[in-house]
Order: sequence, then structure tokens, then C-alpha cells
Amino acid sequence: MPRSSGKGYRQRPLRRYGFFIAIAGLLALLLLQTSPRLSEGVEPIRTAASDQLFHVTRPSLIDRISGASAKERRILELEARVRELAQYKALALTMAERLEVYEEILNMQGEPGGAEVTARIMAETDGPFAEALLANAGATNGVQEGYYAENDRGLVGRVVQVGNRSSRILKVTDFNSRVPVMGESSGLRAIMFGGRDGMGRLIDLPEQGQFLPNERILTSGEGGMFPRGVVVGHVRGETDKEVRVDLSMLSGQLSYVRLKPTITITAPEEAPIETDLAELSEEDGS
Amino acid sequence: MNGLSAIPDWFALRWEHARPRSRLVIGALVVALIGLVGLTPKSFFGVPLAWPYVGLIAAVGWGRSGLGFGPMVFLLLFGFAQDASQAPWGSHGLANLLTYGFSAMVTQMADTERTPLLSFALPVVTLFFGIALVWLTASISSGHLVRITPMLTAYFATLVVHMLISPLFDLRARRAGGGVSV
Repeated sequence: MPRSSGKGYRQRPLRRYGFFIAIAGLLALLLLQTSPRLSEGVEPIRTAASDQLFHVTRPSLIDRISGASAKERRILELEARVRELAQYKALALTMAERLEVYEEILNMQGEPGGAEVTARIMAETDGPFAEALLANAGATNGVQEGYYAENDRGLVGRVVQVGNRSSRILKVTDFNSRVPVMGESSGLRAIMFGGRDGMGRLIDLPEQGQFLPNERILTSGEGGMFPRGVVVGHVRGETDKEVRVDLSMLSGQLSYVRLKPTITITAPEEAPIETDLAELSEEDGS
Repeated sequence: MNGLSAIPDWFALRWEHARPRSRLVIGALVVALIGLVGLTPKSFFGVPLAWPYVGLIAAVGWGRSGLGFGPMVFLLLFGFAQDASQAPWGSHGLANLLTYGFSAMVTQMADTERTPLLSFALPVVTLFFGIALVWLTASISSGHLVRITPMLTAYFATLVVHMLISPLFDLRARRAGGGVSV
């Protein structure tokens, strides 16, 4: 049976008035917004509210629970990083081309190249005696003693022993390794050896000048054991006696290394050019 | 096991003896919670989810108990919160309030306690009324008829959620003698 004459509905005229007033007010508000001037005044409020409530990059609850938001954020970060690095790559290519042109103009003799071998690391010994790697490339692959090894980040070490199919690489983190290095910006020279904490130590520091904080450390090429300009790491901290170096190779992968020859440039007296003395005297006489 | 199975009974008993104001606040909190979750982008394995108009559920539920100032204020606030998207200010509030009034009127007119079919059909009709109002307001404000399909999916989502949470919007407190008071 219908209850159209319900008590509660009839006994609440004030609430009914309130209801109809609210409806009328809302209709008036809607009508007021048809005015462009009023809409312009309201729009900043909406924009502020939308910024807070409907942020497109804000992850959903499901994404937060499933962990997809963290992955998505990481992807966005990496994409931004790739875009940034792409700019650096373009810049580096341009600079490399310019450098090539300048070197050609100056007739500069660059670092001589040689046969390179990529080898897989078969074993690693991080014992108390020596920090060395065993690579699966040896004499049959053209590897010789004295080759230096680097990974995708920087200098790894030097080949100290060569077998037919394997070679042993003494890592730069070894206490007995000695690498002549220089600061990229300061140009200061030093000798680096491996510390006990996995970082490099610079000794034989120059009396004048100081390595800059966070400065990149490169091989100086002095002594001919390593070519010049191979990345070693960057300055981490300095005490009054030594400078610590954060080694770049540790941040890269150590499953594969590139074995490269160090071309030693012989002194003139070691390989003199024999000139005919008679020809020289003739030239002087004329 | 006995202890665990007693928990729903305990809640049901507490809810039955709760005062209308407490029920109103709890219902409002539920609406706010579902509404806040609804503000974030939602997708399930890449498929965008339709989110219910939980304000309308509250309007239908509270409307069954007759008109009151408290529910009206809450419905207005929910409406303004919903308007923070690109809707004109007051449009959702209008839909909520009219649905509330419609639900109150229909409940007064129909004897839902004696005809169970009506108690099932009334929310279906009143929610459809509310969704139709939202669609109408959106169409008028945008100057063209907006798409019906998203509204229908939202309507069905609202219906499903209504079936699950409608008891939370019942403001009528049980009397000791078994009667109902508002």
C-alpha cells in the first residue's frame, strides 16, 4: 500500500524548504557560470583543485600495491637520463670530429692502436696476496704480457702472466699494482696503488698543487705501461699524506674485459737511424 | 574459530544500535574514502576501470530515511568535490540532492517493507535517475549530448557497489520493540 501520506514527510516542512533552497541555489550557481566573466573567476580554483587531485603522474592505488608505480617512476627516470645522455652523445660526437680535424691540422701523432681482444673472466682471486683475474684469452688469441685490461667503465688492470688460452690480470686494486696517473683538470701526476678498502691510493704527490675534489683520474702514460688517458676513477677524498680514488671499474661489470696492447714508444737512441756520414759531409760541403 | 565468527555478529549488533548521526558520519567517511581512491587513475592490467558514483549511492541510501540537513550538507560537499574535475560547479551537487529528494519521495510513496521487489527495484530506478541527471547536466553544460556508454558502465559499477555497501547508508535506528525510527 502506498504511503503517500507518510508522517515523516509531512512533519518536516523546514527540511523540505531547505532542500528546495539548496536546489535553487545550485541551479543559480550553474546559471551564473554561463557568464564568461564569472567563469574566469572560478577557473583558477578549479585549476588548483585539479592540480592537487588529478595529477597525471600520480600513481593509482592498485599500482602502488602491485609495485608498478615504483617501476614506472624508475622507467621515467631512466628515460629522462637517456634523453640527457643522448644530448651528451651528440655533443661528444661533434667534439670528436672537431678534435680529429684539429689533430689533422696540427699533424699530431695520436696513440698507436693494436690488436684488441675481448675476454671473459673465468676466475677471480681476491685473496690476501693478490687481486687478480683469470681471463679466457691467451697467447693463441694474440694476448701478450703487458696488455692492459679495461671494462665498460675504466681501467681494470694489467696482464702479468700469459698462457696459451688464458691470461692473468693484476687488478689495479692490488696493493702491488702501480699505475702512473694524472688529474684530468689539474694535470698533476702521481702513482696509484690499491688500498685495502677497495679504493685507489695516490702517492708520490707533487709538492705544488692539489688534486681537485671529485676530479677524474686518468692514466698519464708515463713509463709506457699504460697508454695515456684511460679512465681510472675520480678523487674521493684527500688526507695530508695520500689521496683516495674511487675506482670506476668497480661500478661497471667485471664479467668481460677488453685486453688492449700498450704500444711502447722506444727512445731514439734505442733504435737509431743509420745515416751515411759521407752523404752528410757532401751536403755540408755544397 | 568461534571468536573469529563472532566478529561480524559483533559489528552487526553495534551497527544496529548505532545512532543515526554516527551512521551518517560513517557513511560519509566511506563515500570520502571511495571517492578519494576514485580520484586517482585506475586501471586493471591496462584496462581502465569504471568508478561508481558513490555520492549517488549515499543519496539513495540516506534518502530512504527521509529528508535531513546533515545528509544534504554532506551531499553538497561531495558534489563540490566531484566538480573539481571539469564539471561546472554545482552540477554534481544538484544531481546528488535531486537523487536524494527523489529517493526520499519514492520511499515515502512506496511500501518497500511489504513488497520486497520494490526494495530491489527502487535503488535501480533512483540510481538510474541520478546517473541520467549527471548525463543531462553534462550534456547541457557542454552544449552537446555526451557519450552514453561511459555513463552506463559507471551506472552498473554504481549498482554493484550499492549492493555491497547500501546497509552503511541506512540511517534508521532499530527500536527495542523491533520498529524503525529516523
